[in-house]
Amino acid sequence: MLSEGFLQSLRNLRLNAPRRRIGTLTGERRSVKRGRSVEFADYRNYTPGDDPRRVDWNIFARLERPYIKLFEDEEDLTTHILLDDSPSMFWMGDDEAEVHRVSPKWLCAAQLAAALGYVALAAGDKVVIEASSFQRFGPKRGVAAAGALISFVENISAHRTTHHHSINRWLKRYALDARPGLCIVISDLLDEAGYIDGFNALGGSRLDVNLLHTLCPDELDPQFSGDLRLKDVETAGLQDMSMDDQVMNQYRQRLSAWTEETAANVRRRGGRYHLTDTSRPIEEIVLKDLRREEWLV
Amino acid sequence: MNLLNPLAFLFALLAVPIILLYLLRLQRREQNVSSTLLWRQVTMDREANTLWQRLRKNLLLFLQLATLAFLVFALIRPYVNLPSAVSGRTILLLDASASMQATDVQLSRFEAARNEARNVINALGTGNQMTLILVDGSPRALSTLTNDKAQLLETLDTARPSPDAANWSAAIALAAATGANNEQTTTIVISDGANADDLKLLQGRARFIPIGNSGDNDAISTLSLRRTLRGLSAFLRVTNAGPSDDTLLVSMRGDGSLLDARTLNVPAGKSVEWTLNNINPNVTALQASIDQAGKNLLKVDDSAYAVNAGNANRSALLLTRGNRFLEQALTALPDLRVTRAITPPVGAQTYDLYVLDGLSMTLPANANVMFISAQDTFSTTGIFSDTQYVRTESHPVTQQMDWRNVNVLDARRVSPSGWLRPLIESQGGPLLFAGEAPDDTLNRVVLLPFDLRRSDLPLQIAFPVLMANAVDWLAPPQGLNVPASVKPGEVVPMPAGTRVTLPDGALVEAGRRGFVQTTLPGIYAFDTGKVQGKFAVNFNNLSESQISPQRDLQIGSAGDESSPAVNPTSQREFWHALAAIALVLLIVEWWIYQRGLPAIGRQNR
Repeated sequence: MLSEGFLQSLRNLRLNAPRRRIGTLTGERRSVKRGRSVEFADYRNYTPGDDPRRVDWNIFARLERPYIKLFEDEEDLTTHILLDDSPSMFWMGDDEAEVHRVSPKWLCAAQLAAALGYVALAAGDKVVIEASSFQRFGPKRGVAAAGALISFVENISAHRTTHHHSINRWLKRYALDARPGLCIVISDLLDEAGYIDGFNALGGSRLDVNLLHTLCPDELDPQFSGDLRLKDVETAGLQDMSMDDQVMNQYRQRLSAWTEETAANVRRRGGRYHLTDTSRPIEEIVLKDLRREEWLV
Repeated sequence: MNLLNPLAFLFALLAVPIILLYLLRLQRREQNVSSTLLWRQVTMDREANTLWQRLRKNLLLFLQLATLAFLVFALIRPYVNLPSAVSGRTILLLDASASMQATDVQLSRFEAARNEARNVINALGTGNQMTLILVDGSPRALSTLTNDKAQLLETLDTARPSPDAANWSAAIALAAATGANNEQTTTIVISDGANADDLKLLQGRARFIPIGNSGDNDAISTLSLRRTLRGLSAFLRVTNAGPSDDTLLVSMRGDGSLLDARTLNVPAGKSVEWTLNNINPNVTALQASIDQAGKNLLKVDDSAYAVNAGNANRSALLLTRGNRFLEQALTALPDLRVTRAITPPVGAQTYDLYVLDGLSMTLPANANVMFISAQDTFSTTGIFSDTQYVRTESHPVTQQMDWRNVNVLDARRVSPSGWLRPLIESQGGPLLFAGEAPDDTLNRVVLLPFDLRRSDLPLQIAFPVLMANAVDWLAPPQGLNVPASVKPGEVVPMPAGTRVTLPDGALVEAGRRGFVQTTLPGIYAFDTGKVQGKFAVNFNNLSESQISPQRDLQIGSAGDESSPAVNPTSQREFWHALAAIALVLLIVEWWIYQRGLPAIGRQNR
């Protein structure tokens, strides 16, 4: 799924968490909880019950008032990667179906999930990956789990159920027992019911929601003509359309408005948004696009 | 409204396959998409115009059916009956005389007449017939009696005005031959009426369509060139054929170079003359033209041309023991260099003309010879003295010659050969012969079978005329018998294959009948290979220069106006308009199919 060279180049990267979250173990990331680390953060007045070992005696000698030294507490980060494996993620245009056995759109999304999971593992973070078919990996930490992670991602398509859940339902259910941390949603968000409720639930569980919005070229710039009966691969719903230049222009305007609105929704929650053209090579998306937008540092 | 081809209604059945194809086309192709989410939103955007969308769905079908309907209507050739100007048989006389080139109406009178003719042809009723006669110097029918308007219009477009006067009597005879006197026949004359008095002879039902509205015109009526002791002298006469006085700027050019120009005031209906002397005798062609005029509507008579035909010197050998009359008569002729000898000269020099007065010599091949008195060349069968004049044959040698007073004492009887033609017959036998030898031994021959000293011919007026005619015929001034000036359309005699350069620079060859393409006034240069020269074609027709139109010319039999006429009608078809509408609909349909309809309501979003 991912080449050795690509994995090698991922090893030096870390996921850039815009806000710090409390972890359970001492990790490699700073926590907002100040504690027993070695890096000085601030002073506060001594209150009865404080550990007398943390009183700064030099200050006490100078000022004759006890102050407690506060240190940055370094903790680990839980990275939640939520990978949409609904039928729309496996869709490919007629032309693509002739060339590819696996949908390029799905392959790109899966590779993104594996790559970001690998980066998180390599950084010592705790990683959880869940597909919308409720298949779950982790939580696990350490590079040693990388093989299992990639294997899990590779097998999602084989074990997914044909039953389709809405994005909202999936995200809300995941938010119930999720620990705070960095959350990366990889999805096309093509769901009649939308995604807002799900995103709200994730935010409520103190997850920083970031979105990799994966759309393939046939969705970004479809080349349809003539009188067509469009069939939704998820809902099997039908829509009659007479394609002409005017309709295609209206579609492109609609798509543009929708992606802009989605990006605004994500950014309002403090997250990042990246519209991913799934026809681009994974290396370019990760090493160029995501680094440029500071998803990875 | 009536139909000419109702069977074409069957083409309406084509609507069935069109509708079937349209229904088949509406079978939509199924296309899987990842989601219809966005497409549904697009549809919702467009549903604001649902009615319009529905209309649009079927608009192409409506347009296709409408196109078919108009095509079918065009194919059944509907027509309406309209009152017609012409009915039965119509003979259309179109004036193509020179005066029709006057420009007092838009473009020219001829073009205006052509437009009138076009209107008459277009008004031709169903089942009616028409013939078109072009009237110029030699009127001719351009088409037979036909009801084919397209053919008539096509023929009309080929008609051109000529520089001739119209020969109306010949045109009326031609019309009569076509049936102009028939009760069912209407003769329509489209003319300016100028110089058309003969038109009053036209019988039967007739209608006159007058063309033109002004008679202002100036013309060069005469241009002549003659040799004088001081060189060449040109005589010019300019005529104002119009109804008002005019001031003209007239110029004369010799071989293209301006010789002189003069302003002449010419009163209405009068002529003014101008003589230009001391022209360089080497000038070969002279052109006089009206360069500026106040009121001058006809261009074709504004120029005249003359050639200096006498520029080529001819040589003659006179072999005589002495004949003063003969010598004087010959030396008095212009452009003739006479060499007198008693014995045949030694040497290779040849002459254009040999005059053998009672002597004989060895002649070169193709020689032009005038034999006088006894000659060994022709066998004689005795002498006759009954020389009383009987008659004169028409021949260039006998032009303007009066032999009646000539007395001859006796003459030799020459046995006539096939090619030698007797020109003057007397009681006893011919007194003058001329002819062209069929072989190369001789060319042209004039034979007087009597001794001049034994007649009073040298004392008669006929003698210098005979000598001038004979010399001009035997050795023409240009080596050929080409006249110095001819009228347009006249045939110029010259050998077949002679190359002639027209005034416009084009090069053509003379045919077997001579040179016939003399339609363009101007200077023509010819070259037979041996002889070069020029001749002029001059319009020179003062009657055609009188271009005053007659708008109230009465033609045809009197009382025709009151003849009971069955209201004539003509069929007017309008399939052209229907076909045009079908074409427009087809283009609109194609455009909508390719580009889509303009989005109504887009601005409302």
